[in-house]
Amino acid sequence: MALALENVSKHFGSLVAIKNLSLTFDVGSVYSIIGPNGAGKSTVVNMIAGSYSVTSGAIRLGASVLNRLPKHRVAQLGIARTYQNLRLFDGMTVLENLEVCFFPQSWLTYLTGARRLGKSERLDICHACLERFGLSDVADTLAGDLPYGRQKILELARAFVTEAPIVLLDEPAAGLNHTETKDMAALIASLKRADRAIILVEHDMDMVMSISDRIDVLNYGELLCSGTPELVRTNEKVQEAYLGTTEELDTIRKLAQGRRAQGGLRSNAGIVRH
Amino acid sequence: MGTSVIARRAGLLATLALCVILLALVPKLPPYYVRVADSILIYIILAVGLNLVVGYAGLLDLGFIAFYAVGAYAYAFLASGQFDIHLPFIVILFIGAAAGAIAGVLLGFPVLKLRGDYLAIVTLSFGEIIRIAINNADELTNGPQGIAGLDRASLFGLPLTSPVHFYWLLLALAIIICASVYYMERSILGKAWRALREDQDVVRGLGINTTTLKLLAFALSAAIGGAGGVIFGSFQRFVSPESFTFQESLLVVLIIIIGGVGNIVGVIAGAIVLVVLPEVLHFAAQYRLLIYGIVLVTVIVLRPGGLVSPRFNLSFIIRKVRNLWLSPSKT
Repeated sequence: MALALENVSKHFGSLVAIKNLSLTFDVGSVYSIIGPNGAGKSTVVNMIAGSYSVTSGAIRLGASVLNRLPKHRVAQLGIARTYQNLRLFDGMTVLENLEVCFFPQSWLTYLTGARRLGKSERLDICHACLERFGLSDVADTLAGDLPYGRQKILELARAFVTEAPIVLLDEPAAGLNHTETKDMAALIASLKRADRAIILVEHDMDMVMSISDRIDVLNYGELLCSGTPELVRTNEKVQEAYLGTTEELDTIRKLAQGRRAQGGLRSNAGIVRH
Repeated sequence: MGTSVIARRAGLLATLALCVILLALVPKLPPYYVRVADSILIYIILAVGLNLVVGYAGLLDLGFIAFYAVGAYAYAFLASGQFDIHLPFIVILFIGAAAGAIAGVLLGFPVLKLRGDYLAIVTLSFGEIIRIAINNADELTNGPQGIAGLDRASLFGLPLTSPVHFYWLLLALAIIICASVYYMERSILGKAWRALREDQDVVRGLGINTTTLKLLAFALSAAIGGAGGVIFGSFQRFVSPESFTFQESLLVVLIIIIGGVGNIVGVIAGAIVLVVLPEVLHFAAQYRLLIYGIVLVTVIVLRPGGLVSPRFNLSFIIRKVRNLWLSPSKT
């Protein structure tokens, strides 16, 4: 199964957030969408998940056109996601946070008792998932009482528990410390599977470079470059978008040198710097 | 093992027996007290029903009494000389619940997109619209005069005539409703409602149709309100719009807030407090609303979560009792 964006544009009033973007995500790989602030990364995720409407173009998953469907239908077709700011059900236990994902998709099936899963089956899957994500010891703890790092992992678990073929991760490393980020990267890499595409929006370049099969760089709502981590790392346009042009870089370097010289003078004058 | 287990189990059984005996002794009390008990039970039924919407799904409904009115008038129409229809009580009980559910869905559809304050305003208006409509539809409802001389209800051939009979009927219904709501609370439906209360957008993102989830809450809650209304009608044998004012809606909401939102034990406690309090203070009857206000403010200041802590709920009690019964040693 593949997720395809075809000439997708998104306008917020007169602001063009995404301009004619075409991308394909096949199952079996980890993709990263990167770009400077305001490049439109989160907009892409929100459009795929059905939170934002699409101004023009189409988003397809297999034979379905996602951008014509309500949000819950999009999720039912197999798109799971995490959020930039944690959005767990704080007042429910860790286990319940996962169980909710198995709510019957149609209320007719609920009322007639033809549920998607029996209770014991559902609990088995949720417990196995908690085990997989190292959360078994806190199954009955309220999600809101977990430390931040583990809440992030729980949100990840919630996105993976239903075995959705497309998983969108919106900044999984945001707010994590260095070790936690490394663990998170290893965890995400270990979740790569032949029947699943993982799409990552992330600022932490170590994580992006280490786990992605393909990186898509956005700038001002347009695709700047797309390819393997090596290709993106050495691409001049990407460096420009992130760091500025060579001339600008020279200027920055000179300014920095000047300041260093000044700092030296000051410390000579007896100002203590911390 | 041994004597301590037996003693503990005996203690547990004795406590349970005491509860049953106390409930069974209520009809032996003077009629006034039985009436108060009936009133408590009716409000428990209503508040447990409304709690589905307010406590679990997190949708503030200020027009709940409208469903109660629908149930009461269902009994008045179908068991009186008004249209000369005389259906059995048990049939009307189900019709009343169904009519309540339909009214709940009718209210639910237009208001589903609203949240918080706006939802409260619209539901409040709905409650008033139903009351005013009843007040003005003279040919159908006799307007403000109401419908009198409703049939005496009977259940399986037993006539329900005295408050004692209604005590047993209401007690049975309250237990059935509390048990079903408890089952729902623990089922995946209850979990989805709680999730809905916390973050509606995320719930949609999990592939759950929040519209049907909310409609289901409205319909089930209104069905309980409707069933309560049928019993009220058969008990009073007289219905008039006066019984279904905004104050009544407010009282049911107050019971939930003062007892403990989303907690069946809390709701039962709230109903007892708010029904008994005005009876104890009946010499100050004209200050009823003032008393409610003082109680509400006191509870909000001292115990913002309600009189009963959210952790002291039905599953906690059941777990505790089971542990006491099963655990081999006292810990």
